[in-house]
Amino acid sequence: MSTWQKLLNWFDERLGLTTIYSTVLDRKVPKVNWWFTLGSASMILFLLQGVTGVMLTVYYVPSPDHAYDSINYIMNEVAFGWLIRGIHHWGASLMVLVVFAHMLRTFYFGAFKYPRELTWITGVFLLLCTVGMGFTGYLLPWNQRAFWATTVGTSIAGAVPFVGEFINEVLRGGTDLSALTLARFFSVHIWWLPAAIIALIGVHMYMIIRLGISSVPTKED
Amino acid sequence: MNAEQKQQYKEKYANAKQHGVKFWPDIIYKDLLISFAIFILLVGLATFLGVASEPKADPSDSSYIPRPEWYFLFLFKFLAIYGQIPWLGKIEWLAATVVPAVGVLALFLVPFIDRSPFRHFSKRGAALAFMTVLVVTMVGLTLIANVPTTELSALQFISGLVLPALGMAAALLIPLFIKKDTNRALAWMTGVTSALILGLAVAVLVLSPPAAAAEEAQVAATLPEQILAGQDLYSVHCVECHGAEGEGGEIKGVEGLEGVILDPINARDVMYTFTDETLYNIIAYGQPDLGMTPFGLAYGGTLGPGEMENMVTFMRYTWDDRAELPAEVTAASAMPTLAESETPSYEVHIQPIIKRYCISCHREGKTNNNYIMDTYENVINGGDNAPNLIAGDLTCNTIRMLNREDLGDIGSAMPPTKALKAELVDVWVRWVLAGMPETAEDAAAAPSIAP
Repeated sequence: MSTWQKLLNWFDERLGLTTIYSTVLDRKVPKVNWWFTLGSASMILFLLQGVTGVMLTVYYVPSPDHAYDSINYIMNEVAFGWLIRGIHHWGASLMVLVVFAHMLRTFYFGAFKYPRELTWITGVFLLLCTVGMGFTGYLLPWNQRAFWATTVGTSIAGAVPFVGEFINEVLRGGTDLSALTLARFFSVHIWWLPAAIIALIGVHMYMIIRLGISSVPTKED
Repeated sequence: MNAEQKQQYKEKYANAKQHGVKFWPDIIYKDLLISFAIFILLVGLATFLGVASEPKADPSDSSYIPRPEWYFLFLFKFLAIYGQIPWLGKIEWLAATVVPAVGVLALFLVPFIDRSPFRHFSKRGAALAFMTVLVVTMVGLTLIANVPTTELSALQFISGLVLPALGMAAALLIPLFIKKDTNRALAWMTGVTSALILGLAVAVLVLSPPAAAAEEAQVAATLPEQILAGQDLYSVHCVECHGAEGEGGEIKGVEGLEGVILDPINARDVMYTFTDETLYNIIAYGQPDLGMTPFGLAYGGTLGPGEMENMVTFMRYTWDDRAELPAEVTAASAMPTLAESETPSYEVHIQPIIKRYCISCHREGKTNNNYIMDTYENVINGGDNAPNLIAGDLTCNTIRMLNREDLGDIGSAMPPTKALKAELVDVWVRWVLAGMPETAEDAAAAPSIAP
């Protein structure tokens, strides 16, 4: 046995690499077309958003006094800051688009049917989380666009009968948009929703591996 | 699905897997290719389109028209069009909460609503038609989202509400009533409805293009840009009382403050003891008891937070001897120099002087005998005592006043508190002698004037 093989064995005995390989990677799946790459594209976009987002938090300051300037600093002073922010900005739009397209693909191919109903439901949660990420992330630059769009966006919740005002105040952390709003949007954007998305992707993926990816429907299906 | 159908599906799926491919590498390879393409696309977008800069949030500026992120536009437009429905439109919470809630709930329940065991397109006509009309509607609403709902409201109403409702109803009803060639009927219905929705949306767009987004305000992002932007604002709003260099002195010609004597604001005492925040607050709130009006939007002025911050930055970097003014600013804000044999022109030499020393009083709404120095024509022929400038005539009003002559009703020595530097007065003199050329080309063509 070569040293390399020995090393691999050592890790395999402890991590079960071959089991992972045989259950996750080395399995047969139906032959599918390019539309079936939308799911992995969504995940790659989430990873990209995660990596660029973590990088942005190094300089970003979630307070009304500094948020705008800190982004200015990222865009103009930090080496390749413009690239990281640019990818995060455009990635957000692209992610909404791709996740939505992924949902349409699933619908049109009837892939949500038995036995994948629950996969669909976790998928809807993921779509909502993605939109929620878009909504909370939009406020963070603390510019005019962000401020007023969020003012209107949160005020829509105020139209709910009876509890509207309460929801509105929970979203804003008060009657008006303030430092509290920015702080809680930031918190939801970088902790709550990403945590929910990671958990949901885990469940989503588990079911996909367990049930196998759906096949392209034929005339008999 | 009953047990038998489930068994059938499992067998078919097992068969499809049998004739399928390996997840690794066949599927992974495609996924990686797409991932790479996405990465390249994003780097391209970030590099070539970048992120548009926006002014800083200003809670006091309620005139700002909010624009949500593009993927919420369809919902906003739906709310706006819905509001046009007589009677029902008044019940806002119906559209704002019940409709989206029902939509999301329906999305969750899709597997339990569409329960037929069939998966092929030919056997799911109604579901596919319904979803297609829905998605086309979202696209149509997004297209017309920036057109005011009051324009061509009938067309918008049909495209955004009537046709979608008819189309979705038809998708559900056609299978019940047309038993032969159902799919063909559904396909036609979907095609025609979609074409009409999108056609009307495009028609609305063409007939009533959304007001060209107000010219993207240039946002000062870097420090030199901010200082220069602050200087321009200072020149307009502050010079009339505080002087071009913040030197203060006796105020002349400002309504209500005539004769008030101001301390300099460019002094070390001020710069070392007033923080940026203090300076900002003084600009925003003013010092009404001392006669200084508020400039911040929040207190009834006209300036937003970003603008006032730029002004503070300008003051700090220009007057505080602990701060070093960036070389670019020194170069950009210096008055254009005039060579010995060069002929001055309005655009290159005169305009920057006006912008720095005159415009604070010689603009709309100030006491200035209606002499508004905003354009070439107005500088020469404007005002109650026009013309103030006459080509070749060194006894014209402006030149005499620049030379500290008091002309009574016509005006006092200008600028009121502090004389222009001799070399700047010289620029005016040589400009008048050269026939007051407007552009640099005109100046080059004009006969050279010996100083």
